[in-house]
Amino acid sequence: MKVTRRDLLGWSAGAAAGLLFTPVPWKLLDDTSIWTQNWRWIPQPTRGPVEVKQSFCTLCPNGCGVRVRMAAGWPVGVAGVASDPISRGALCPLGFAAQQLNWHPQRVHTVRHRGNSTSWEEARVAFAKACGEGKIAIVDGQPGRAASVAMKTFVEKRDGSYRVALAPEAQALAPYGAWSGLGAIGLGYDLENAQTVVSFGAPLLDGWGAPGRFTRLWAERAAGMADPQLRLIQVEAPLSGTAVSRTAARAWQWVPIRAGSEGALAAGLARVLLDEHLVRARGPMPTMTAGEAADQTGLSGGAILDLARTMVARPPVVAIANDGNPAIAALNVVLGAVGTRGGIVRRSKLAESYASADAVIGASYGTARAVLIDSTVPWDFVPQTDAEVFRFAAWDGGAGQADWLLPAPGFLEELTDVPTAPASAIETYAVAPSLVNAPAEVQSAAQFLGSIDPAAIAVEKIIHQRCDDLFRGRAGTVYGKEATAVAKIASAKEFEEQLWKGAVWVGVPPRSGDLRCELKEWPASGSSGRSGNASNANWSSAWLAPVLPPLASKLCQESNLREAPVGRKA
Amino acid sequence: MNARYGMVIDLDRCTGCGACMMACAAENNVPPIPQASTRTGVTPMLVRQVSNGMEGGARREVFIPILCMHCEHETPCVHVCPQQAVEVDQATGIVMQMPQRCLGCRYCMTACPYHARYFNWWDPAWPAGMEKSLNPGVAVRMRGVVEKCNMCHGRLHSAKEKAAAAGKREIDFADYVPACVEACPTAAIRFGNLADENDPAARETHSPDAFRLLARIGTEPKVYYKSKEAWVKELAESKSGRGPEVKHG
Repeated sequence: MKVTRRDLLGWSAGAAAGLLFTPVPWKLLDDTSIWTQNWRWIPQPTRGPVEVKQSFCTLCPNGCGVRVRMAAGWPVGVAGVASDPISRGALCPLGFAAQQLNWHPQRVHTVRHRGNSTSWEEARVAFAKACGEGKIAIVDGQPGRAASVAMKTFVEKRDGSYRVALAPEAQALAPYGAWSGLGAIGLGYDLENAQTVVSFGAPLLDGWGAPGRFTRLWAERAAGMADPQLRLIQVEAPLSGTAVSRTAARAWQWVPIRAGSEGALAAGLARVLLDEHLVRARGPMPTMTAGEAADQTGLSGGAILDLARTMVARPPVVAIANDGNPAIAALNVVLGAVGTRGGIVRRSKLAESYASADAVIGASYGTARAVLIDSTVPWDFVPQTDAEVFRFAAWDGGAGQADWLLPAPGFLEELTDVPTAPASAIETYAVAPSLVNAPAEVQSAAQFLGSIDPAAIAVEKIIHQRCDDLFRGRAGTVYGKEATAVAKIASAKEFEEQLWKGAVWVGVPPRSGDLRCELKEWPASGSSGRSGNASNANWSSAWLAPVLPPLASKLCQESNLREAPVGRKA
Repeated sequence: MNARYGMVIDLDRCTGCGACMMACAAENNVPPIPQASTRTGVTPMLVRQVSNGMEGGARREVFIPILCMHCEHETPCVHVCPQQAVEVDQATGIVMQMPQRCLGCRYCMTACPYHARYFNWWDPAWPAGMEKSLNPGVAVRMRGVVEKCNMCHGRLHSAKEKAAAAGKREIDFADYVPACVEACPTAAIRFGNLADENDPAARETHSPDAFRLLARIGTEPKVYYKSKEAWVKELAESKSGRGPEVKHG
């Protein structure tokens, strides 16, 4: 048989058509697809020994316990620690991706002076020169740490000023600190014993305090209950249109008022409480009448009366402000919620010595020659000063807010201790060991100051001394794998070892009557602007880093769940 | 005995914090989407916010975490897949997605009544060095395939390995907890073996407050929800996934 060119072409065409009815081309297509999905430059997880270590998250002052899965020495997963008495196994959403932060593109890797790269030696010389030429100030964002002691000692030796940028929760306690003469630090809310909580715009279920504290209380004692053991009343303006905040959405009762009228409502409530004899007179009579309060808040007089009755129906009741509004603090005085169980309390005296009670709130530095800002201070804190600013930061938030930008340790890269969280009613202490080797180019503020003053005490020594002091106090309980009274621990070494392994020391509960506020007249209503501005963006107000983990795009970009916090992008 | 792993999500406890979404993405090496993109990324767990439509003090809102419902009966995605890339694991009841078999035709996305499936449009990418933070127990997500919740199958594998190393045939249930369940700060998500009547999660499915999304279509999801609010239950029958009103602050 003679094979012609026509036959060859026909067979070829037939074979090509027939091939389409076999799995071969489709399998090849699939394999090619898989091959192109696995280029060598596609990132692959790090392989290596996997181990689980424990430490504390220091990305906000709440210091939640974290269980960190490490692979080949790198953190690859973060989860909460159920035995942690403060966070009780909960973390904020950002904490679950915090392991990404150390590789964030905005990580600061070099010392910069007015935008130009320079060296640590240059920075050291410049700061030492400033110390010699005039007064200096140091701003701390998490007072009460061992590093705080190191910074405070350094600045006080030079007749300088140690300042504190308080967390929002602590700012709301400032009026009680001023009226009692104790200072804002060392006070807290005894929420665990409260039965009615009236929040004036504070995002109690959305980033207020440690995530495991109020949200767990609410879940256990209020969620889904028609008559909850813990009544959460949220007084707050709608976000925009008819939308409400997370806390208002899940509160037992939401009281919508006009934005910025929280102080007027507090005065109106106090007036009604006193006029109707719903409380024993403990405070001054506001000059504002209930009718005037109704006009300002948009509520009816009857609604204010109903709210006042509801508040006192199930004591103890405490009002929580979202800022330092003194009217809301005065309402607590009228309610008898200051210095009592379930209200505003003073932490035990034993541990209070660790807090910086002499800290000054504010940012007017006057004639300071230089200001050093620790990396624990939120990026949006900008000192109003002409002084030369040395800013420690692990991540650069942009906007050139400092003359000197100094690379600081990132997530889990620094040994630190964790003092009591802001607004906590009970004193706590923990040690957060570094789990990751910090890059050679970073230094903490305490290390930097130690390189200028060789006589400065190292953070590790201060932590050792604190553990020793706590052990000698023989008070409180250590929560590790199990709870152990300090009095039953055999030695200071054993006590310290437990803390280094992730245990938390918890002091004795506060006593009623340790805090008194004398208030002769109703204070002028003031607001720092936080009240009435509740928004879905306030969910991470305590987040220190000027950046978010890239995975936060799940919350802010790939879903409608949240808006990115102002000034912070994933 | 074969297990039927499932969840009961108490909507009255959910504050919509998003911790479950973040923990899920971190555990499963889900990459962030490119910043300039307006497409939907891979969100195996997605929390949605819905309201009762009222205004003022009468307004109520709940947050509904939506994930693969792991349908027990007539599983729609299994039926439409031309590649047999989806199957119900008879040993666990988990609806498994095999990305190596997936052609990316997205029939399953269309078929899923809960809109719980996502197409991966991009090669996974992280900023330089960040690959060191990836979970070594899970492969990175492949481009061009459909993704969904697999109830943290990597964690199930780890639990099986641990059991095998100890010479056991059955896993210790305490070793297998999906990331979203572990992350929830209010313990709103309860995970368990629904085939075991003594399991707390299985008992909760019999609660008068328990319901399933679109129960009337008969897919018998293994993800249950709970709420005391009648309007939430009504909503669950009428809408799902992308349907409910979504609001932005």
